[in-house]
Amino acid sequence: MTGERGTRRKDRVARLGLHLVLAAGLVVMVGPFVWMVLSSFKTESEIRQVPMTWLPDEVTFANYGDLFARLDFPTYFTNSVVVTVFTTLTNLLFCSAAGYALAKLPFGGRRLLFAVVLGTIMVPNIVTIVPLFVLSSNLGLVNTLAGLILPFAAQAFGVFLMRQFILSIPDDLLEAARIDGATEFRIFRRIVLPLCRPALATLGILTFLSSWNNFLWPLVSATTEDTYTLPVALALYAIGQNRTDYDLLLAGSVVVVVPVLVVFVLLQRHFVRGIATTGLK
Amino acid sequence: MTRPTRLLAAVLAVTLLASACGRDDDGGGAAEEGAQLDQGKASGEITVWAMGTEGEKLSVLAEDFMKENPDARVTVTPVPWDGAHNKISTAIAGQETPDVSMLGTTWIGEFANTGALDVVPSDLVSEQDFFPGAWETGVVDGTSYSVPWYVETRLLFVNRAAAEKAGITEAPATWEDLHAAVTALRTKGGAKWGIYLQPGQTGAWQTVMPFVWQNGGDIHDGTRFVLDAAPNVEALAYYESFYADGLSTRDRLREGEPEPKLLSGEIASFVSGPWHIGLLNELGGEGKFELWPMPAGPGEYTSFIGGSNLSVFKEADNRDGAWKFVSYLMRPDVQVRWYQTVSDLPAVQAAWDDPVLADDPLLATFGDQLDTAKAPPPIPTWEQIAAGVDTELEKIAKGATSPEAAATAMQEQASAIGTGN
Amino acid sequence: MRRTRNSRTSPAAGSALYRALTGWTFALPFTVLFLLFTAGPVAVSLVMSVTDIRSADLLDPLGVEVVGFDNYVRLFTDPKFVRACVNTAVFVGVGVPLTMALALAFALGLNSGLVRFRTAFRVGYYLPVVTSIVAISVVWRFLLQPESGLVNELLSAVGIQGPNWLNDEAFALPTLIVMAAWRNLGFAMVIFLAGLQAIPRELYEAATIDGARRWAQLRHLTVPMLAPTMLFVAVITTIAYVQYFEEPFVMTQGGPLDSTLSMAHHTYNQFGFGNYGYASAMGYVLFVVVVGLSIAWFRLLRNNVDR
Repeated sequence: MTGERGTRRKDRVARLGLHLVLAAGLVVMVGPFVWMVLSSFKTESEIRQVPMTWLPDEVTFANYGDLFARLDFPTYFTNSVVVTVFTTLTNLLFCSAAGYALAKLPFGGRRLLFAVVLGTIMVPNIVTIVPLFVLSSNLGLVNTLAGLILPFAAQAFGVFLMRQFILSIPDDLLEAARIDGATEFRIFRRIVLPLCRPALATLGILTFLSSWNNFLWPLVSATTEDTYTLPVALALYAIGQNRTDYDLLLAGSVVVVVPVLVVFVLLQRHFVRGIATTGLK
Repeated sequence: MTRPTRLLAAVLAVTLLASACGRDDDGGGAAEEGAQLDQGKASGEITVWAMGTEGEKLSVLAEDFMKENPDARVTVTPVPWDGAHNKISTAIAGQETPDVSMLGTTWIGEFANTGALDVVPSDLVSEQDFFPGAWETGVVDGTSYSVPWYVETRLLFVNRAAAEKAGITEAPATWEDLHAAVTALRTKGGAKWGIYLQPGQTGAWQTVMPFVWQNGGDIHDGTRFVLDAAPNVEALAYYESFYADGLSTRDRLREGEPEPKLLSGEIASFVSGPWHIGLLNELGGEGKFELWPMPAGPGEYTSFIGGSNLSVFKEADNRDGAWKFVSYLMRPDVQVRWYQTVSDLPAVQAAWDDPVLADDPLLATFGDQLDTAKAPPPIPTWEQIAAGVDTELEKIAKGATSPEAAATAMQEQASAIGTGN
Repeated sequence: MRRTRNSRTSPAAGSALYRALTGWTFALPFTVLFLLFTAGPVAVSLVMSVTDIRSADLLDPLGVEVVGFDNYVRLFTDPKFVRACVNTAVFVGVGVPLTMALALAFALGLNSGLVRFRTAFRVGYYLPVVTSIVAISVVWRFLLQPESGLVNELLSAVGIQGPNWLNDEAFALPTLIVMAAWRNLGFAMVIFLAGLQAIPRELYEAATIDGARRWAQLRHLTVPMLAPTMLFVAVITTIAYVQYFEEPFVMTQGGPLDSTLSMAHHTYNQFGFGNYGYASAMGYVLFVVVVGLSIAWFRLLRNNVDR
């Protein structure tokens, strides 16, 4: 059994090496984030200091005080939460259903629909903003929260993601359920969705992030302050014509990032747990 | 196979529909005058968009206005600078514009061309009350579409210690003086760079066009672009000389970099606007820098004038109320109050007689220069032409082209783009 | 759903009509919203690209001339656009493989079962995706300072004189590629991690019994099973990189001398100038490029699962 012991030692070396590589990578990856958090406790002049510093000379909470005093924080935060939560939920629901249809249910027009879906992801957003605004205006959606949600409630990106994941579910599994007399709806709910938990978690994380950070559309679509979202408000107060208030901007960026991280930490657990393929065959 | 064909057919149908309509040629009409306003106090709801700090603080003035006009209700929506131009474009397309909006001085030509802006009423304000360069920014083909609200102009910020070490006692008056002074700032003043001139890229034209104007050159003479005229080429050569003689770095400084470098003396001077007073003071720079006006030459003008204007949209629900609010903001006392609120320099000349402004020596330098400051022509395509100019300026700064070739390229690009009218 | 349930009793359950109805029932809510809010504006912008529409026509959009492919022809005589095409090609050609390789390597490492503190690593590697671009640009610029930056100090320790990364025509684009890979690999890694969960564990167990080594497992089991996910990541990353914009916008503004100007940046500028027809045409050139690359990816990564 010397061979196995050798393998085990090799394993231990591999494990150590892997940890070292990953840890080195981690330092490189988190540097700017750490700087962002630390600098949000610095004064404006220290943030602007050259060469830049990591630890604050004197810790100040004034940036956060300023942020909550100058911005109507509860309004913007509520708007952002409502828009992001609805956008994320609708995408999870609509995209997984459509993704299932595109992956596993042969129906007329399926290929065309998928081609159009893929095609639209590839058109840069900026060129559609004027037609989208005119449409939104005709539907009476300008300056409403619904007008911020609906255009992004069913995104092509999500369908593409879900389709690709559902493709890798073995057909035999679904066929077996069909022979047992399960309806497609039941198969979708009881087999496909549970198997898709990592994919749904991914879609949730990515949609939440993009909706939460979305800037151009909420800016264009909101015509009064009470429908502004956090990124719009933050840009308004921190980024001037000729100057940027880094103190406010960094404190704001930290506050804005918290919900995104919470969602990520909560959902990333599904990358390990979700799948139970052992009973498949 | 049939479905894609049908889709194609639908697209074609829409295309044909569009072609059936076609462009009707109304061309540039004669100068217009806006209809007069009714007498009496403003009333009703007035919606206003304003960018950045102005948007955040405008409600202060709106409160005062509503005290004088109890029947009026002003709603101010602050708009982020970042994306403001796109927001206004789309609002025009969707006909979701407010009654009044603040507009960048270089946007008026473009938005006036859409037909979305109301003509300034003939009895609203008097042209003579404003700095001439500022008033011109709102006039497109002889018709006035907006009123200047606040202004700014560019001049030289200089490290005082370096200037003293270099033995410079007064601001250089001519090109030769400036070049000599900047050289002295470097050789005697101990600076690594005697000056920082933006080496091309977005907005560099605001630094270089003053040289063109000082030299009697211009962008457009009323009938054609004149970017390759002799005075322009000379101005570009003057700009180039600062790089060729090692007086300015060829590398672009990013936001936040010039201020500490000026105060540390690494860079002895740069060209910028009034907001830099605040930025430098915040870094503990009070008293450590001085202001020089731009040098003069054979030309009538010496520097660039910027700022923002106020326009009323044709679609405004409350046109009279909107213009009355605009005219309120142009009252000298209100302009002074606005300066005290957000440090915006008044566009109305009479406001400068108020001791609040008159007694401030730093401001006086700006005030004097505003009389001879000029803006680019209010043509709809200016932003695009400026981008081409900025690209050529970068080539000059990096030594990748000659002033002559750059001027020719600028002229060719501008002529190809046209004035958009 | 009632229709579906009823038809269970009939043998028609396998009929084409039944399948079409079920398929469309699942796809319908998405399709309605998608056609209205995404496909509709896209179709309009496609029409705009064959007209001379500019910002001056905003109030009278039907009053424009149809100019056919003029905008498209003009594009290729625009030296800035041609330059932007070359830059974008380099960015995509180098950036996409680099990002995917790094993301896959880290995902496999984190998924290997050998690593502890997995949550901390996952969150850490995802942080650049969520960090504000302003903070990122400040720190990167500091690290890349020509004289005092950490990167050049490390290089000079081994006797190399580092360049002025962001202001040198030769180095600015490669620097931005590395930065983009750094910033986006967390995004791709998350998707790879999710994709790796979909590979049945017993396949690995079987492979281990067969005595397959790690490398062989990776080549013959993991990579083929991961093909649909790789395809997704490849296409999405390609789309993101063909439309790359933010990094040069904050770091170099397309300079020095247009060496980092991207097609998307140029499109954005033209849109800002109010040249909507021209900008739309540019957008559709981008579109054609992405479609071409995506077809290539589909060909390359197609396996028996993906019909």
